[in-house]
Amino acid sequence: MECELVPSVCSYCGTGCGVLFEVIDKELAGTLPMKTHPVNEGKLCIKGWNLHEHINSPLRLKQPLVRSFGRFLKTGWDEAIAIAARRFREIIDQYGPESVGVLVSAKITNEENYLAMKLARAVLGTNSVDHCARL
Amino acid sequence: MTVKRVRFLQDLLEFTGLAARLHLEWISSAEAQKFAQVITAFTEKIRKLGPSPLAGAAPWAQASVAPPAVDRAAS
Amino acid sequence: MKARVRRWLEEGTVDVFIGYRQVDGHPLPYCFTRENLDALDGLINSPARYALEKIATHLASRQPDLKIGILSLDTNRRALNVLGIWNQINPENITTVDADDAASGVATPDDMRTFEPVVPGPYKQQVGIDNAMSPADAEAFDQSERFSRWMYEFEKCIKCYGCRNICPVCFCRECSLEHRDLIGTGPLPPDVPIFHLVRAVHMAGRCIDCGLCEEACPADISLRLLYRKVNQILDNVFEYQTGSDPGQPPFSLLGNQVTLEPKPLDADK
Repeated sequence: MECELVPSVCSYCGTGCGVLFEVIDKELAGTLPMKTHPVNEGKLCIKGWNLHEHINSPLRLKQPLVRSFGRFLKTGWDEAIAIAARRFREIIDQYGPESVGVLVSAKITNEENYLAMKLARAVLGTNSVDHCARL
Repeated sequence: MTVKRVRFLQDLLEFTGLAARLHLEWISSAEAQKFAQVITAFTEKIRKLGPSPLAGAAPWAQASVAPPAVDRAAS
Repeated sequence: MKARVRRWLEEGTVDVFIGYRQVDGHPLPYCFTRENLDALDGLINSPARYALEKIATHLASRQPDLKIGILSLDTNRRALNVLGIWNQINPENITTVDADDAASGVATPDDMRTFEPVVPGPYKQQVGIDNAMSPADAEAFDQSERFSRWMYEFEKCIKCYGCRNICPVCFCRECSLEHRDLIGTGPLPPDVPIFHLVRAVHMAGRCIDCGLCEEACPADISLRLLYRKVNQILDNVFEYQTGSDPGQPPFSLLGNQVTLEPKPLDADK
């Protein structure tokens, strides 16, 4: 019986509360707040309390999906990126660069958000960069 | 068992400001007069206390607004 | 004391010892095992309290014959009594080490911020309940004021279930607060005061007044005071002190120990 208590940071929103994962026999069994973490001081919201279920959920995507004839089909990363790039190209050629936008998220790092902004402005040629919470 | 639960709940409700709204009485089906007596006395007592402070708290208690439909099957 | 725990692990008196260790600058719960006895040098006591007995119940549910040692204060010992009464742990498999024993040799790090009770702000003092109040103080208000002050507290609830999740003596697999036919998980905010009163009623015979629920509440609701009143009712009316005796029956099975008469209708005049 192995029990480890692993400190970590919640990935759900930009706040970044300190959490403690109960890992029993290498399996994520529970989530506790970190009392001495300066951000949350031992308190969590309902999303933070249920991280262990979120991480191991069978509903999580394991492969990219592409919509084909109204259904989602599993595909590989290369194919998915190629399809996205091709469609971006087609839409920008047809309607202009202002017709696409990029949504960033609090669940990815600041550095990744910066890259998304660069992709939008330098590569796609649009300044429509917004946040997923505005959806 | 019941008397313990009700007594406990009466004390707890009194602590949070909802006193005297719960009453327990044992009445057999043969004691119709006692039943009528207790119900009348309790109704009078409640009438004197006035509406529950919880009444009207929900928006649908005030106007003809339907309560939000909760999809129980999904939860 | 570190030597005692080391001996226990080596001899097999305990298979795992749950204490605290400094990890990345934070005192965190740590499971010491005999595979890694050197880690015991880092055994400390922590001013930040965690529900170590909750971790013990999770381990015990997976492996019931596991021998567990716990670094405990008196609140932990009361919790262990209650868990033993409700068959969540086997008291024979639990060994405790008193953390409040000054001669224990386990240090509390000096630079750790101590958890002082928070002084409530002026608005909360004016319309809400001061968490540090005693039940007698809270009964100084009249009925309608009590109601409005408690409703102010309860209406802040964001239904995070933190109070329920962190409680060392909450173990029900089908929790009434999550059951879709009772109080379901979906709608936010919760129905007040039902949500908190249901929890308070379920805490009868279980709450051992550790205060972790109040510390875990992001909305700073006076939960500890509410459950203290619950314990007071149990003591006054039923003479039941939760967690005081590992041999006492669970609260729901008092049987003929307590005989009560229902309150008469005009008792509140």
